[in-house]
Amino acid sequence: MRGLLPLLLLALSACARPSAAPALTLATSAVGREGALVQAQLARFEAAHPGLRVELRSTPDEADTRHQLFVHWLNAHASEPDVLQLDVIWTPEFAAAGWILPLDRFEPEAGAFLPAAVEANTWRGQLFALPWFVDVGMLYWRTDLAARPPDDLATLAAEAAQPGPPSGFVWQGARYEGLVTVFLEHLGGFGGRILDDGGRVVVDREPAVRALEYMRDSIHVQRAVPADVLSWQEEHARFAFQNGSARFMRNWPYAVPLLSDPAQSKVAGRFGVAPMPAAPGGTSTAALGGSQLAINARSDQPELAYALIQFLVAPAQMIERAQVAGQYPSRPSLYDDAAIRAALAIPAVEARAIVERAVARPATPVYSELSSILQVHLHRALTRQAEPRAALGTAAVEMRALLSRSGLDAEGGW
Amino acid sequence: MTRGRAFTALRRAEARAAWGFMAPALGAMALVAAGPIAWTAWESVHLHDLRMPWLDRPFVGLDNYREALATPRLIAAAGHTAVFAILTVTLEVVAGLGLALVLHHRRRARGVVRAAALLPWALPTVVVALLWRFAFEGPASVANMTLASLNLADQPVAWLSGAVTAWVPIVLADAWRMTPFVALLILAGLQQIDPALHEAARLDGASPWRAFCAITLPLVAPALLVAALFRALDAVRVFDLVYVLTGGGPGAATEPLSLYAFDALMRHLRFGYGSAISMGVFVASFAGALVWIRLMGQRALVREEA
Amino acid sequence: MTGTAARLLPVAVVIAALAPLYVALVGSLTPDARLFQSVPLVPTPLVWDHYRALFGTRGFWVPLGNSLVVAVATTLLALLLGAPCAYALARLRFRGRAIVLALVLAVSMLPQISVVPPLFLFLRELGLIDTHAGLVLPYLTFAMPLTIWFLVTVFRQVPLEIEEAAMMDGASRLVAFRRIVLPLAAPGLATTALLTFLFSWNEFLFALTFTLGPERHTVPVAIALFRGQYQVPWGEVLAAALVATLPVALVVLVAQRRLVSGLTAGGVKG
Repeated sequence: MRGLLPLLLLALSACARPSAAPALTLATSAVGREGALVQAQLARFEAAHPGLRVELRSTPDEADTRHQLFVHWLNAHASEPDVLQLDVIWTPEFAAAGWILPLDRFEPEAGAFLPAAVEANTWRGQLFALPWFVDVGMLYWRTDLAARPPDDLATLAAEAAQPGPPSGFVWQGARYEGLVTVFLEHLGGFGGRILDDGGRVVVDREPAVRALEYMRDSIHVQRAVPADVLSWQEEHARFAFQNGSARFMRNWPYAVPLLSDPAQSKVAGRFGVAPMPAAPGGTSTAALGGSQLAINARSDQPELAYALIQFLVAPAQMIERAQVAGQYPSRPSLYDDAAIRAALAIPAVEARAIVERAVARPATPVYSELSSILQVHLHRALTRQAEPRAALGTAAVEMRALLSRSGLDAEGGW
Repeated sequence: MTRGRAFTALRRAEARAAWGFMAPALGAMALVAAGPIAWTAWESVHLHDLRMPWLDRPFVGLDNYREALATPRLIAAAGHTAVFAILTVTLEVVAGLGLALVLHHRRRARGVVRAAALLPWALPTVVVALLWRFAFEGPASVANMTLASLNLADQPVAWLSGAVTAWVPIVLADAWRMTPFVALLILAGLQQIDPALHEAARLDGASPWRAFCAITLPLVAPALLVAALFRALDAVRVFDLVYVLTGGGPGAATEPLSLYAFDALMRHLRFGYGSAISMGVFVASFAGALVWIRLMGQRALVREEA
Repeated sequence: MTGTAARLLPVAVVIAALAPLYVALVGSLTPDARLFQSVPLVPTPLVWDHYRALFGTRGFWVPLGNSLVVAVATTLLALLLGAPCAYALARLRFRGRAIVLALVLAVSMLPQISVVPPLFLFLRELGLIDTHAGLVLPYLTFAMPLTIWFLVTVFRQVPLEIEEAAMMDGASRLVAFRRIVLPLAAPGLATTALLTFLFSWNEFLFALTFTLGPERHTVPVAIALFRGQYQVPWGEVLAAALVATLPVALVVLVAQRRLVSGLTAGGVKG
């Protein structure tokens, strides 16, 4: 028994993380088609830079977990990974904490990218990340059931409530970040916002209340939306729409290539994509999602890291990404490209219009907490535990308290 | 006199040996349990936000506790924890008692039932939660199909989206996992009862129900109490089951204290505030543990001393 | 209690205990597209895709390996540290024994969440976040009291005479413990080891908090976080759940009788 302890310690130390440093590390999601695509692109980058090795550090798929992983790495002041794939909503948080490098010294061609995406990656006047691809919320509709997509939200609900497919309109209503994006689109459709230009919380105003009432009533009164969506994320909705059991779906562009595959989709060739409709007085709104590339502030080789970012966001790689994974380019000019037009499955002009109108979520270092408050109260209203007005009122109170506690409220400035 | 001194020396040597034997274990527990608890208490009176390193870690007194008590979501979480504990403990002890009584009279069934009872108990909680989530998720879930085939529901129920219905799979999952085990604990208590007592009652012409009330119940009560307290202590710290089954939703309708604390700690990285809530969970279960030690432990410890 | 009901009840219990696992088995053998419609009672046709994907693209070997290393290391370390302590508590007379026993009991009832913040900061300071050692150490919070409490009962059942005879022959306490008591208590030690292994294998909260990447996730964490950016692959989740259950089922089958007597005597965990 005495000999056991050294043996055990030896075994444990042998399990510790290997420390051999590769030339450059990129932390990104590395599964499925996307993973294979990144591998192929990295191989080309290495071929163009002899002697440079790039190691792919795969990260958890689930956004919250990946966020925690990044926060830990950066908070521990590790020099790896050099390049990080960020969610659009994380940039201000990481920038404010000093975890990622301002890119201005590399003189990025910010003007070539979508202005909303550039803005989401800007913190206190400095650009901290370049948009890799953009995601936008869109309305999927069935070309065999209607001649054209609905013009406004009322028509959408009315058509969705008609008999026919068992579910009318499906979206992402589980209590997670996706619900905030769906709400944002309804909110814009009614002319409301979460924060105003001065950073004040306005999510308890009249348009927001009406948007949330619309969402709740379309579930529980008109039955245009199945109650099941309250536990659904993107893929549940995609399955329902793909099986032909839904008339409309709100989802990201990734679903287009999957729905077009006749081997697994019953609606291949029978669906179209349109901007989310609005209510009278509101604007058709798409939530802006997508991924950004940023440089670890402690990276030993920021110049090389920037070269990698520049390569990955170059037009050729973006076009390839659109073709393979259906993800939209973050460069507006590419929407005129013939290859993109073939890849997008909807008219490029329309796609570009949706992308250019896309609305970003609030850019604040405390976004994850802000969103978490909103998620709980939206979900409470949608599951009829609270009236929309009361739910949004409570959410607004909590959000204001959070902003003032963090010294980020409109009055105090930051 | 010399004999007495030699005896004392022997006792002293034995005590020294005992502490020597225990030192490594006690050191380990100080390192991973006692020390951390003190540290949590210390964190809970400081402002410590890992996302905002520039704020440093100033002392803020009871501010974190005050903020917690002023947060409706925390009060609700405390309520959910209590409701979950009361519901599952009652269900499991009552059903467990029934099951134990049957098994007590049917010796041959015991072996099979024991294996079947231990399996759910031994499963990873994550697996239990997933099994039950699978059974209740979606309009064509096993639960909805069962209801439909029994003609109990004409519309599929969206279990996980109802503030009340979402509790059904949670409570059922816990009961599924723990009832048979609770029954085994109670069965051990039943087996301690002298059969002569029942024999005497039967000769006195007491009805089975009277015998149960007058003999079985009082004598098995300590075992029931142990089982109930164990389960209650476990229920107060419930985390895995809810994390996987509902994530605390819909809204925050099924969110227990540990889940809210975990959110504050690991999602928002508010270590001071999260520590304050963790201390709350600790104090709640420590109070329960004290009751346990007073009621049962003391008896056990006295037996050890004897 | 009528005779038939009493006869049928054990059967019902067995069915109730196994039914959810059977549904999972069927689900894991059914194509994903059919899962969202309804799960058949008997899967037709049997599809092994989910298991293939689990060990192929999902790389489920990695979390299985992590869980195995962490659970075995925790078990060995807890036995190594806990056995002498349990022996002292079972056999030696000294003041403060009741207090030590109460302390052990108190530690066993510690809610995990209440030690998460300091353990996270502590492990981060030591650079042990996302390592196997960084899991084994926190696992001692539940493994130590479990092992000690169980072994106290085990050691008390070892006949005193043999041990005393050895000490009469001049053997020291330590020698008597190692040469006489430990071998005699071997079956009890094995049961305790199995139980500690079980708890370590199943642990979730610490593993979720103190590991970060998929390379270090244990089985429960890997299963709980099993989804694509947009997906809930139920078929694979159920397959993984059943694979995670296998070692547990083996432990139960091998040691059920001893586990029950130990658990009901020590009453370690509810």
